[in-house]
Amino acid sequence: MNVFINGQQISVGSEPTVLLALQHFLSTEQQKQSFAVALNGNFVGKIDYPQTSLNQGDSIDVLFPIQGG
Amino acid sequence: MTISKPMNTTLNIYGQQVDSRLLIGSALYPSPEIMKQAILASDAKIVTLSLKRQNPAEQAGAKIWQYIQEIVAETKGFLLPNTAGCKTAKEAVTLAKMSREIFKTDWIKLEVIGDDYNLQPDPIELLNATEQLLKDGFKVLPYCTDDLVICQRLYDLGCQVIMPWASPIGTGKGLMNPYNLATIRLRLPQATLILDAGIGKPSDACLAMEMGYDAVLLNSAIALADNPVMMAKAFAQAIVAGEQGYIAGVMQQRQTAHPSTPTLDTPFWHQQG
Repeated sequence: MNVFINGQQISVGSEPTVLLALQHFLSTEQQKQSFAVALNGNFVGKIDYPQTSLNQGDSIDVLFPIQGG
Repeated sequence: MTISKPMNTTLNIYGQQVDSRLLIGSALYPSPEIMKQAILASDAKIVTLSLKRQNPAEQAGAKIWQYIQEIVAETKGFLLPNTAGCKTAKEAVTLAKMSREIFKTDWIKLEVIGDDYNLQPDPIELLNATEQLLKDGFKVLPYCTDDLVICQRLYDLGCQVIMPWASPIGTGKGLMNPYNLATIRLRLPQATLILDAGIGKPSDACLAMEMGYDAVLLNSAIALADNPVMMAKAFAQAIVAGEQGYIAGVMQQRQTAHPSTPTLDTPFWHQQG
């Protein structure tokens, strides 16, 4: 199954979750950092990563703190 | 540098008293170290920041975030995440929820942009997003234009803080419509009004404070100065000067000249040939 993370298409397993997709996409270092996730434009809290399943073509945004005005 | 303030004049953000009337952005500085020095020099206690995508190999964002955390810890300050880049209420609400999880704050600087050319807020989407976020427990600080009716609507929805622009983001054009801004102050005396965006010079910030605004939020004017640290100090002093000028009470303008020096016993008075 293919999903998109930050616009980049990745291949995940047959029964993927948000947690599995993040472990696949993020570096080990990034997984320790502060980030937040949206699935198809809707916020997904950290507590829900393991049980939030993915469908073909889903789009995940993983956002990190950055400077801003 | 700490600027002394008159008694009992802390900034009120939804009941949180803040001991500075300058809110400062964390973007566009020549380096993270200069950003840190400038923010500390500004005496600001509220620092804005944002969320963005980051590639797995990229680490710059993590370093900036570390600096900002150090600054906020050192100043005992507050984070104010924004929703920069959002064009719809749905996007802004999602980003606000993501920010709340990361930054552990229900404050949100709500930006919903309606035009890419001048980054003018979309008033319809802004009101929609504000309503949803307030219902969800956020303390919304909406970035809006200097339109009185939009500001009134935001206040009526429950916004205790409203942030009209001085001019479009990053232009440095200063207060485009002082009349509009003064009218908003006059009509919403209970709201915390923060002038946000478009400020270019310390005198712009001073003018806003002289008009009775509660605070000023800026970024580019400091970050893009030749010497950001010195400019940060200049803004800190300008804001305190404007605030004290407002509290002191500005004299009424007069149509004709009035001599400052007493005219009684003026020498050579009315001496004719």
